[in-house]
Amino acid sequence: MTAQIEIDSVTKRYGAMTVLENLSLSVRANEFMVFLGPSGCGKSTLLRMIAGLESVDEGTISINGERIDTLPPGQRGIAMVFQSYALYPHMTVADNMAFGLENIAVPKDVIAARLAEAARMLEIGHLMDRKPGQLSGGQRQRVAIGRAIVKEPKAFLFDEPLSNLDAALRVRTRVELAQLRNRVKSTMIFVTHDQIEAMTLADRVVVMNNRQIEQIGTPMDIYLRPASRFVATFVGSPTMNFLPVTLSERGGFLVAELPNGAHLTTTIRADGMTAGEQTLGIRAEAVRRAEPGASDTMPGRVEVLERLGDRTLLYIRLKDGSMIVAEDIGMSRVAIGDEIALTLDGTRTHLFDAEGRARHAEEIGHG
Amino acid sequence: MSTMTATSAPTRAAPSGMVGRSTGDRIILALTIATAVIMMAPLVWVVALSLKDNKELMASMNAVFHAPYTLQNYLNILTTSSVFRWILNSLIVSGGVTFSTLVLCSLAGYGFARLNFPFRNVLFVIVLIGLAIPEQAVLIARHQLFSWLKLHNTYPGLILPWLSAPFGVFLMTQYFRAIPKELDEAALLDNASRFKIFWKVLLPLTVPAQATLGIFTFLSVWNDYFWPLISGTKKEMYTLTVGIASTQTNFAQSEGLGFLMSQAVFASAPILILYLFFQKYIVTAVSGAAVR
Repeated sequence: MTAQIEIDSVTKRYGAMTVLENLSLSVRANEFMVFLGPSGCGKSTLLRMIAGLESVDEGTISINGERIDTLPPGQRGIAMVFQSYALYPHMTVADNMAFGLENIAVPKDVIAARLAEAARMLEIGHLMDRKPGQLSGGQRQRVAIGRAIVKEPKAFLFDEPLSNLDAALRVRTRVELAQLRNRVKSTMIFVTHDQIEAMTLADRVVVMNNRQIEQIGTPMDIYLRPASRFVATFVGSPTMNFLPVTLSERGGFLVAELPNGAHLTTTIRADGMTAGEQTLGIRAEAVRRAEPGASDTMPGRVEVLERLGDRTLLYIRLKDGSMIVAEDIGMSRVAIGDEIALTLDGTRTHLFDAEGRARHAEEIGHG
Repeated sequence: MSTMTATSAPTRAAPSGMVGRSTGDRIILALTIATAVIMMAPLVWVVALSLKDNKELMASMNAVFHAPYTLQNYLNILTTSSVFRWILNSLIVSGGVTFSTLVLCSLAGYGFARLNFPFRNVLFVIVLIGLAIPEQAVLIARHQLFSWLKLHNTYPGLILPWLSAPFGVFLMTQYFRAIPKELDEAALLDNASRFKIFWKVLLPLTVPAQATLGIFTFLSVWNDYFWPLISGTKKEMYTLTVGIASTQTNFAQSEGLGFLMSQAVFASAPILILYLFFQKYIVTAVSGAAVR
């Protein structure tokens, strides 16, 4: 069973405070959609509104064309995995998983079969008689997912389910979730503030900020063609570099005059864009050490080195006092304090206007 | 040749025995033992007196320290025909109050902790104000009311005054508040009704608080003397405390000391048994850990 979820012009208020405003979104059947955003952006509230745990003040939510925002949570055909797992502490794993099915009078033999199948899939068969207090964080996580699976819901909702796990377990569980997603063909909505979870799990990512949706797109869309300066800042590690530039036009493309006076020819079309001051965005991997004798470089001094094994991040103080992050090879010979020159790849640049709206170089993505 | 010198690092108390204990630990242990002896001495004294024939005690109190000991005082209690009736009365009243208090306080606690209704906080404060009103302040009014309702010398008359239990409501409210709301929400998504969430999910998690409240309520009602003395005036409606007191002669302190002490032990026995079964919860309650 799967679901297409339509969220239409939804608004949510707590007293005088509006936490979501006129928000519309369509989740496709069998899609793994991730709501990504900083704390307080409204992503969990939206998820809870879909689940029925928060009321909808304006707008509608439908599943497969049927309006559900007026239905109680248990009748929406939705299962949810909570950040805290929310397993019933006094019940065994088996009882936890069976509770929801017993409430809708599913026959005992069907319950037993579903529990056995979920236990096999999640490899928790040996835990079925234990209580949540006797389980590790990872095991509780599996049980919580199992409790959702046995209900065979139209859609799964995950509210930051990995955030209580330690780093190693988090990575492992993320991979397992991706595998599970391939086995359980169902619509899934996953809330997180962790961009790596969003990038690795999602078919599409909804980036949210300040009560609004900033961008909806595939992970690579979001990364390569951020719709706004907020998205460019929030997605990607290290965060995108931003430089104040003065624009001019050459051959239909924009040329940016960098803070040190060097010129960078971009592949951003000048169509309709007025020349003048704007903000240029460029990721660390598009900022490299310049070859000796190269022109239009940016000189600076290395202040911090981050050796990540396969690559090295260089934090460089420019002459105007601003900081830029560049990328070098893993075996970089650069040392802290070195004076180096940088070259920027004009085909991987973005421009942001005063409102934060973006334009992208043409070679980026699929143009 | 190198030599190894043992350095004397300060050591904490060993897990068992006195080896390695610091002077501070020894002092604390001695004080604890002394306190325990002081606490236990009156209890041992009462039990010892209850096992002595009264004639011996009249001759000299030193008789307590040597044989013969006897159970005659206890047999005398059992042969008092009404004593089992009084025990039954105490059990009915204490059990009835305990059961009713647990039901009412659990429901009220759930309501205050989980339901949104008008004037919830105001009502909760009013309940808490009840903690500040002593029983004596309402005694005459209650006596008149119960007389008018003809509730004196009835079980409801002995039970009802206990059912306004602000402490119980407060305790259960705080306990329900401490249970994560995600459990309610998970149960809602599991299609459970409000009552089922209360009954199947939340109530089982309040067992430690229920045990604490139940034990304290039972002990308080069992030991109560004041209201049963006023309300239960007929002999067949005496509770154990009132009944035993009624058997004392004017000179019980001197002429019936052994019998008096055996009555005290007899009345305390059910409480002692209760304590042995539920001491874990009582200790938790006293330490305040029951309210997370």
